[in-house]
Amino acid sequence: MRSQREEFAAGAREISPMIVGMVPFGLVAGVAATASGLTPAQGIALSVLSFSGIAQLIVCQLLAAKSPGIVVVAAGSIVSLRFAMYSAAVSPHLAHLDRRWRALLAFLMTDQSFAMTTARFSAPGDRSLRHWHTLGASLTLYLAWQAVVIAGVVVGAQVPARWSLDFAVVLTFIALLVPAVRTRADLAAAIVAAATALVAAGLPYRLSLVAASLAGIAAGMAIERSRRRRGRNE
Amino acid sequence: MSTWLTLLAVAAVTFLLRGSFIVFADPHKFPHALRQALQLVPAAVLAAIVAPGLASPEGPVDLSPHNLRLVAGLVALAAAARIRHPLAPIAAGMASLWLLQGSIG
Repeated sequence: MRSQREEFAAGAREISPMIVGMVPFGLVAGVAATASGLTPAQGIALSVLSFSGIAQLIVCQLLAAKSPGIVVVAAGSIVSLRFAMYSAAVSPHLAHLDRRWRALLAFLMTDQSFAMTTARFSAPGDRSLRHWHTLGASLTLYLAWQAVVIAGVVVGAQVPARWSLDFAVVLTFIALLVPAVRTRADLAAAIVAAATALVAAGLPYRLSLVAASLAGIAAGMAIERSRRRRGRNE
Repeated sequence: MSTWLTLLAVAAVTFLLRGSFIVFADPHKFPHALRQALQLVPAAVLAAIVAPGLASPEGPVDLSPHNLRLVAGLVALAAAARIRHPLAPIAAGMASLWLLQGSIG
């Protein structure tokens, strides 16, 4: 069994390749904050307090379009709904911790650290110190993210568009998606979610993300159920 | 609503959603179907984020080979499936996109 420090260091080490893919995303988020008319202090506060690239980008887009505050908050909530799903998925692993620990790990949770946490906790062996792995991964990502966003806020829109650095954002999500597809039910969920996201792309405020996620989950559960029924008949 | 108030509200909402189950609920009381659904969340949500980034980078869905991001994204997916290192799709995807853009534009 690894010690606290070893778990923390392993988490920090294993998340670090993700930082490379996150750099352009953070730069874009920082640049968007400046471009939307936020002051540098406001742009940095948004990042430090909400720590979500997608939410930050949506908020900046809508503020730039002079949307009312209530619309900005609603849109930020919708793109963050996946955090509630992540929260539910990791909560059994963290249930033995006290409330301060759970609040800290919840505040730091991202797509990347969620994927890493579920992977670490599904490995065999003693699990009692693995929250240190989550902390090591999440805190490393948090600090790196803030550094990159602040750099983006400071340099502003000086990165040439033809570098297509925003594409690295999508690639980061591919790096998370492929290892998350382990079963046929996962595969069905991914395919149906992807197709629904394209069909429902016209929905406002990125509601397509929520619709596609729910459709994918339903498809995965249907596959799972038919597999179990076949298993019982044989 | 002032800008500062909007920013603080967004931060509060993201924290409450992240904390929803971790901080405020008892997972041992979850019904079986919910736990099963939760296992499918990563694959579904991540695919829903990736698909429009590849298939409709400029708004309308474009599944033709002229959509360079779709081609580069498929290369990245193949790389991720073959090489189990998180940098593989990022390196393969960016290299493909730059090559395609260079050879066309």
